[in-house]
Amino acid sequence: MTLNRFLIIACTTAALASGAGATSAAAASATAGPASVPVTGTVVTFCTTGTLTNDTTVFDLGVLTDPNTGLLKNNIAPVSKILNGATCNTVSTITVAASPMTAQDFTTVPPAGFARAIDYTATASGWTTTPAVYVTSQSSNSAANQARNTPFSGQITLTLSSFTTTGGSNLLLVSDPVYSGAITVTLAAGN
Amino acid sequence: MRHSLSIAAITLGLAFAGAAQAQSTTDTRSVTVNGTVAQVCVLGAPAPTSINLGQMAATSGTRTGKLGAIADQSVSLPATFCNYGGTQITVVATALIEGNDEATPPSGFSKAVNFTANVSGWTPTAASVTTTAASDGSNATTTSGGPEQAQPNSTSLTLTLTNFSAPGDSILVAGGYNGLVTITLGPDGGH
Repeated sequence: MTLNRFLIIACTTAALASGAGATSAAAASATAGPASVPVTGTVVTFCTTGTLTNDTTVFDLGVLTDPNTGLLKNNIAPVSKILNGATCNTVSTITVAASPMTAQDFTTVPPAGFARAIDYTATASGWTTTPAVYVTSQSSNSAANQARNTPFSGQITLTLSSFTTTGGSNLLLVSDPVYSGAITVTLAAGN
Repeated sequence: MRHSLSIAAITLGLAFAGAAQAQSTTDTRSVTVNGTVAQVCVLGAPAPTSINLGQMAATSGTRTGKLGAIADQSVSLPATFCNYGGTQITVVATALIEGNDEATPPSGFSKAVNFTANVSGWTPTAASVTTTAASDGSNATTTSGGPEQAQPNSTSLTLTLTNFSAPGDSILVAGGYNGLVTITLGPDGGH
């Protein structure tokens, strides 16, 4: 039994040696090796924003105005949405962007004293120490991009706040069945 | 040699597994924010809230007992608006009627004072109605609708009462006289 086992190991060693170089197999020696076998692989970089809470992609704010004044309500505060399982396996950048809510049927310039758009602030927090923030009334949003220097997997909380009538809080909002805006959250590898 | 082949096969297997998951270096999640603005009209609070004409009959001269000169009366309704187009002012006016004596006045006497109610500001052409009560106080109420306002509108309205007159320029019976003007702002007859 002991002899048989020795022979098997010797054959295996010889095969590995021939793989490493023909000259090694030709040289007679009391010992052979060690032989090195490189093993390589690759993990590609990837990012995913995960899944939304309850799979609902709409912040439904309902009626936006005070029926007594026609002005935008001052207490609009929708429940935040959670992106569960957001993951990047490398350093990353989170970017949030948003567009004002606009009347979808009333598309012409409203009369004096009226507005057809609503601004707000979209905040994506949880990914970076400083949340990514986009204010739709601003032409420049330097805080919309935030970098993370480590791989991460966790939740991103998307919050909408600070709703204001575009053009001034004293403007009345034209009636419209649907005011709509869009928000995007992007995770990108690298920073 | 056999070992080398095995390692190559494992490497290929990993490569195919990575392709099947379609991992991306960027992932974007889009959500929308929706709301609605209902149709609403608001009439500003009238100022003053009532009109007292005082003594209406002349007490001397050739018109003693008949309706004296009554100055035009104005009421302001500031901060009036509708946040949708296709609206109309409706004016319902009831002549001043002496309410204490239910008997029909004798010939040559009257218990009614008619007037014209004019509501301006909503459209270029005002809404106007003139009461046509008979001397006995019958047929006291008249209704008229103004032109359509096609756009959302925010303005101040002015109610003006003019052209006070007694049916047949009769002598007015003594007593307290009460009239009423009701202004309604809402969708026009075609809406």
